[in-house]
Amino acid sequence: MNKQNTLTLVESLLIDYANGTLPLALEVLVETHISMNPASAKSIRMLLQLGGALLENSEPISLSEGSFEKLMAEIDSGVDKDQEIYTNVVNDNNLLPLPLRNYAQDISSPKNWKRIGIGLSEQAINFGDNFGSTKLYKIAPGYSVPSHSHDGNEVTLVLSGGFTDEYGTYGPGDISIQETGAVHKPVADEDGECIVLAVNEGPIVLTGPVGRLLNMLIK
Amino acid sequence: MNFRVVEELISSLDMSMGSGFSNDNQNSLSEWDTCLLKIGKYRDKSAFKSLYEHFSPRLKSFLLRIGSDESAAEEICQETMIMVWRRAETYNPESAGASTWIFTIARNKRIDKLRKDSRPLPNFNDPLFYQKPIDKSDDILQRTEEEKKIKNVLKNLPPEQAKLILSAYYDDKSHRKIAEETNLPLGTVKSRIRLAINRLRTQLEDFEG
Repeated sequence: MNKQNTLTLVESLLIDYANGTLPLALEVLVETHISMNPASAKSIRMLLQLGGALLENSEPISLSEGSFEKLMAEIDSGVDKDQEIYTNVVNDNNLLPLPLRNYAQDISSPKNWKRIGIGLSEQAINFGDNFGSTKLYKIAPGYSVPSHSHDGNEVTLVLSGGFTDEYGTYGPGDISIQETGAVHKPVADEDGECIVLAVNEGPIVLTGPVGRLLNMLIK
Repeated sequence: MNFRVVEELISSLDMSMGSGFSNDNQNSLSEWDTCLLKIGKYRDKSAFKSLYEHFSPRLKSFLLRIGSDESAAEEICQETMIMVWRRAETYNPESAGASTWIFTIARNKRIDKLRKDSRPLPNFNDPLFYQKPIDKSDDILQRTEEEKKIKNVLKNLPPEQAKLILSAYYDDKSHRKIAEETNLPLGTVKSRIRLAINRLRTQLEDFEG
């Protein structure tokens, strides 16, 4: 996928974020992206303001009889169940962007990484739903993720360092989107390790010669 | 926003009510922005009632248009307004107008209904949220200018275009329904919506320059 296409797909992600139709994993990925990319932060601000303007312009439709009284009764008797997660951060890991801290384990601790290849480790993130799979990958400088294709769309956000694949070069805050069937081989920049957050809709299929063998073994 | 700023805003409001005088900040706040500030500061139930009477029928109508059914729309309305009452003191007029703030809460309440867990939308105006320092954007004048511009551009859009913009906020089911009705692939429907949003953004920028 070329950069232009990726750009329009990122816009689609932002629109879906504003209207609230993304699965949790992608919602958190978009929030992390916004925290690293001022242009996207500006877009989200505009989309939420636009939502406010559309709300203001809506033709009023009455709620059922006695709604306000019911509401006040609930307010007077009810317990406030809404919790402010963001004021109550569980994971005090300053290396991670704020939106990720409640979901990922401390990335500075080796026990939270699982080695899956030469120069390559992963940390699975569980969002408690059945949507695809989400992982952090850590790629050593100059090392690569084996060439692979996807059985669903994959959205990758660079958290630190950078990588290059067949389609472009990506740095901190950049999003790369692989559509179903696309094959790519990301190589980490030489000047430092690269950590990415990858959300997959479907399983990853390894496409290199060794990868194909591994796929056969997995099946 | 700190407490002192609220104090100043409200006192400038009280002054202007008496004398007809208004300073720039107060002038740029909408009736509902100041109403929300009052609710937050004084827990004023009659102010809350007028806010409820203004917003909840609009919110219900908006939710119906973007794909909620009647009972879900009413439920989301009620949950949103409870949150408005309980969180009014955290309302920051520098970061959002009342309608944007209420829209954002309703967006979250709608998602919460689909998911089991509830989680608040992060505060995009919190500097701690950002990895790198960003341009200071929490300024009342700038914020109200932005929202005014959006309202103006929306008002002057051709109806077809306005319909596409609204459909950006539809739920997934409604997007699929459009695709079926128009015989267009879902991706095409979504890319038309995206183009409409982009065109709107360009118009907003032209407006600036």
